[in-house]
Amino acid sequence: MRRCSEGLPKIRTSIFSFRIKLMAEGELKDMEQFFDDLSDSFSGTEPEVHKTSVVGLFLRHMILAYSKLSFSQVFKLYTALQQYFQNGEKKTVEDADMELTNREESERKMEKEELDVSIREEEVSCSGPLSQKQAEYFLSQQASLLKNDETKALTPASLQKELNNLLKFNPDFAEAHYLSYLNNLRVQDVFSSTHSLLHYFDRLILTGAESKSNGEEGYGRSLRYAALNLAALHCRFGHYQQAELALQEAIRIAQESNDHVCLQHCLSWLYVLGQKRSDSYVLLEHSVKKAVHFGLPYLASLGIQSLVQQRAFAGKTANKLMDALKDSDLLHWKHSLSELIDISIAQKTAIWRLYGRSTMALQQAQMLLSMNSLESVNAGVQQNNTESFAVALCHLAELHAEQGCFAAASEVLKHLKERFPPNSQHAQLWMLCDQKIQFDRAMNDGKYHLADSLVTGITALNSIEGVYRKAIVLQAQNQMSEAHKLLQKLLVHCQKIRNTEMVISVLLSVAELYWRSSSPTIALPVLLQALALSKEYRLQYLASETVLNLAFAQLILGIPEQALSLLHMAIEPILADGAVLDKGRAMFLVAKCQVASAASYDPLKKAEALEAAIENLNEAKNYFAKVDCKEQIRDVVYFQARLYHTLGKTQERNQCAMLFRQLHQELPSHGVPLINHL
Amino acid sequence: MEDAQDMDAYTLAKAYFDVKEYDRAAHFLHGCNSKKAYFLYMYSRYLSGEKKKDDETVDSLGPLEKGQVKNEALRELRVELSKKHQARELDGFGLYLYGVVLRKLDLVKEAIDVFVEATHVLPLHWGAWLELCNLITDKEMLKFLSLPDTWMKEFFLAHIYTELQLIEEALQKYQNLIDVGFSKSSYIVSQIAVAYHNIRDIDKALSIFNELRKQDPYRIENMDTFSNLLYVRSMKSELSYLAHNLCEIDKYRVETCCVIGNYYSLRSQHEKAALYFQRALKLNPRYLGAWTLMGHEYMEMKNTSAAIQAYRHAIEVNKRDYRAWYGLGQTYEILKMPFYCLYYYRRAHQLRPNDSRMLVALGECYEKLNQLVEAKKCYWRAYAVGDVEKMALVKLAKLHEQLTESEQAAQCYIKYIQDIYSCGEIVEHLEESTAFRYLAQYYFKCKLWDEASTCAQKCCAFNDTREEGKALLRQILQLRNQGETPSTEMPAPFFLPASLSANNTPTRRVSPLNLSSVTP
Repeated sequence: MRRCSEGLPKIRTSIFSFRIKLMAEGELKDMEQFFDDLSDSFSGTEPEVHKTSVVGLFLRHMILAYSKLSFSQVFKLYTALQQYFQNGEKKTVEDADMELTNREESERKMEKEELDVSIREEEVSCSGPLSQKQAEYFLSQQASLLKNDETKALTPASLQKELNNLLKFNPDFAEAHYLSYLNNLRVQDVFSSTHSLLHYFDRLILTGAESKSNGEEGYGRSLRYAALNLAALHCRFGHYQQAELALQEAIRIAQESNDHVCLQHCLSWLYVLGQKRSDSYVLLEHSVKKAVHFGLPYLASLGIQSLVQQRAFAGKTANKLMDALKDSDLLHWKHSLSELIDISIAQKTAIWRLYGRSTMALQQAQMLLSMNSLESVNAGVQQNNTESFAVALCHLAELHAEQGCFAAASEVLKHLKERFPPNSQHAQLWMLCDQKIQFDRAMNDGKYHLADSLVTGITALNSIEGVYRKAIVLQAQNQMSEAHKLLQKLLVHCQKIRNTEMVISVLLSVAELYWRSSSPTIALPVLLQALALSKEYRLQYLASETVLNLAFAQLILGIPEQALSLLHMAIEPILADGAVLDKGRAMFLVAKCQVASAASYDPLKKAEALEAAIENLNEAKNYFAKVDCKEQIRDVVYFQARLYHTLGKTQERNQCAMLFRQLHQELPSHGVPLINHL
Repeated sequence: MEDAQDMDAYTLAKAYFDVKEYDRAAHFLHGCNSKKAYFLYMYSRYLSGEKKKDDETVDSLGPLEKGQVKNEALRELRVELSKKHQARELDGFGLYLYGVVLRKLDLVKEAIDVFVEATHVLPLHWGAWLELCNLITDKEMLKFLSLPDTWMKEFFLAHIYTELQLIEEALQKYQNLIDVGFSKSSYIVSQIAVAYHNIRDIDKALSIFNELRKQDPYRIENMDTFSNLLYVRSMKSELSYLAHNLCEIDKYRVETCCVIGNYYSLRSQHEKAALYFQRALKLNPRYLGAWTLMGHEYMEMKNTSAAIQAYRHAIEVNKRDYRAWYGLGQTYEILKMPFYCLYYYRRAHQLRPNDSRMLVALGECYEKLNQLVEAKKCYWRAYAVGDVEKMALVKLAKLHEQLTESEQAAQCYIKYIQDIYSCGEIVEHLEESTAFRYLAQYYFKCKLWDEASTCAQKCCAFNDTREEGKALLRQILQLRNQGETPSTEMPAPFFLPASLSANNTPTRRVSPLNLSSVTP
């Protein structure tokens, strides 16, 4: 073997190809001679090939297969070889369009022009005979591509064509049905995918029954998994009731035959289905425990991950969650479950963002992306295009947009579009992300009509988010009563489905509505409720935004000192982790409070305070400039001009006033008192 | 003129053709110009290709090559024929052959056009019509064909109506044909019998078949359908006679094997039955009925995996074979997977929307899945389309009973009993006693003493409800004696038929498994 693989590989291959050439161009007897010679290579005192080496085994396998052939089969093999050789020759000669020419050579000779286009296309699509191994390789390759990198796999239509072709040649090739099921899932075809799935299991049941090693056990096993897969299929298409029925069936059969592994899978699915209605983590905890007991690391850590997700929404402390994730990470590395490692990192990114730690989230997302190189060692050159990557990239885009790096964000989105084309299964993620970013920019810019047009798109992808954004647009357009109605409805719905994050956001919007309609006293209890909620669920980011709102309400109520002290509490996390817009708003608010509280100071101290306020305003202006908030800049400039006026700095005042005038002409005023903006 | 020229070559080739030496025949016909000789030339080339294809399947090189062997001659034939076709040099037979070649190459649309043309050129060639029949899949397609206006068209239409399960129309057509002078055609008689078989009018089909056998005792065609009918009626002796008779005529015919298979199945020798169905498939791998029948046999042998295999094969041959879909559903139902089998039953139901058996099966599955609303719908529909086994109403009633909708339950039982007595058949219905018992109790609760006591008396006629009936009668008597006046104003919703005989002769019940029927 060594000699073969290392010693003279070049010469070997050339000799082989020479022999093949000899056979193909010669006669039948050359082939017979070849096989005779082949068996000689084992004999002798120092055989050329060792009998038990890899090459030796392969050769002996070949000889055995050859000697089993009947008379007519030998001739068939020979003609097949000849044809194969001729095709190869031609490929080297004319590289383009070879598919068309060499296959139909015989016809071409006969009457080329008689053949109309239809038959030609058909013939080309039947890309000839595949051997068992080739077919298996084709299927496994396509399946893994579908899982990891959909864009590299064949398009749904052409893949289906190949599969039909394969099945036409050999209807018993059950795996092809399964791939066809996967392929149909890609195009969301319920009918054909059900058909393919059931067909696959019908076939599988046969093979399971035939192979004696499995016997009755194998047969029953495939039955259980058939039902389970059917449940998965219905779940995927959102037929939850059907899925539940199928799952019950799978559970029943599995229980009857004491198949704990299958039961474990069922339990996980049961959780997934249960999630759609209520959040009972008892089931999940149980599932994790059992999975560990039966030694199913994949299921166990998947369970842990779901549990972490659920707990995160339920407001458990971060350290516990991270601990759990760390434990499951250990498990992943031990069993080298690279897929789960990806998911885990993506999840960490999401959790950090949920808690409002943008730096940590950024770091995790980038870590996942640089893990790519690690994966390439394992699985060849292919890139991983799994859901976790899509999620991480979306977070990255949003984080960049928050920091005002719109160019970077759009770069990330462009990359996403390339990696996950619009018809692939994870495309919805970036579509939503893209629209959200666009919406935010339009709102900052004051282009409400543009934002309004984006709302429909967002609603299509995520209805709750859509309604929320609609309310914001209405609010910005001063349609307060409509906005209020919408927000109340949304609030009730979100409380029902326990979407705490959204509840707090809605509460904040409601509060804003109240103080914008000059009733800040009503806003206060709402804000306090939001604060309590965000503290309870440890949503740092929302908590500081609530504090900001609260401080503003206090400012309006005429207690700027109180507001200032409150702000000191919130400003730190905002400056550390908040979005640029929030930083600007915070600084602006600080300046306003400073001015307001300076009213009672003595002149010297007052001037000092005003100077400080102007500094803060400058900072706020910088932040606003980063995200193109012209409206806010206008307000800041106005305020600055007023302050300069008070301090008697005419030149600076005039400069600011000019800037304000420019901006004011650019932007239409909505008739809201300037001071009433946060 | 040309015919005379080619006469020698043609006669020689015909002789070779008759002994199935196709290549030899083609060789001697090469270069002949007459249309007759040309057809024979092409036809022998086609058949030679087909024969080689069949031989080839035996020694293929690998499993994936199995489906790959194809008639190598087809493409050459197509090229030559299409050239002739464009030059309009083909006669009716040539067109027919061209169509066959196209069909074999899966060029269905072109094939249909060519066959239609063939029927125009040579309307009396039944082969072309038959091929056309195989290619038409629905009524819409039929509408858009422009067929020649000959009497052959009537035969074709009747045939295709049978094929598309439009039995009423088919029977009408056949009746017309008989009226205009084809009364002695055994073909028409057999087709009518098959049509009756398809709508499960068993008695009529049986009598026609018996008549047919008297007229044409050595006929083997359609006898498999006849045997199915005998099987469904469990007429053992007749079936045995038929099997022996056919075996004497020709034992290597697909139909014969099928009849023998049915015979063994009826005698519960399922291994032997499966063997004979396998033999039928060896004789003609495209004979799809046998796959389904084999599936039934494996089901009887409780070999579910083999049964699934057989049914799947049947579906592969013909996707519209509702019996195979139904069989698959039954198999999974036996494996206790009611949700899983729903899919299969639904497919079967789609193919036969008006067959109550599928609907009842669907209903049972839904009932097992506790989807009672759906189950009720299914049973109701099954009753509405004309229930074959008379079970739908009882099941519906029981469902209502479960849901404590006593009013509806009682209605169903009443309808059920009316149904049984109105059809006049003296068949033991197991659920009769249940129905009467429920009704008795229902009337008792409603305080309709007269009706209650009638029903209770009926209950006494059955073994399993006798005691309850008597007890109820006593109670009624007691209550009546206490002077509770019955509310006579209320009209009784139903009156029992007068001709109730207490001791029905118990005969066999039609079991749902007897689905072994072959539609052509």
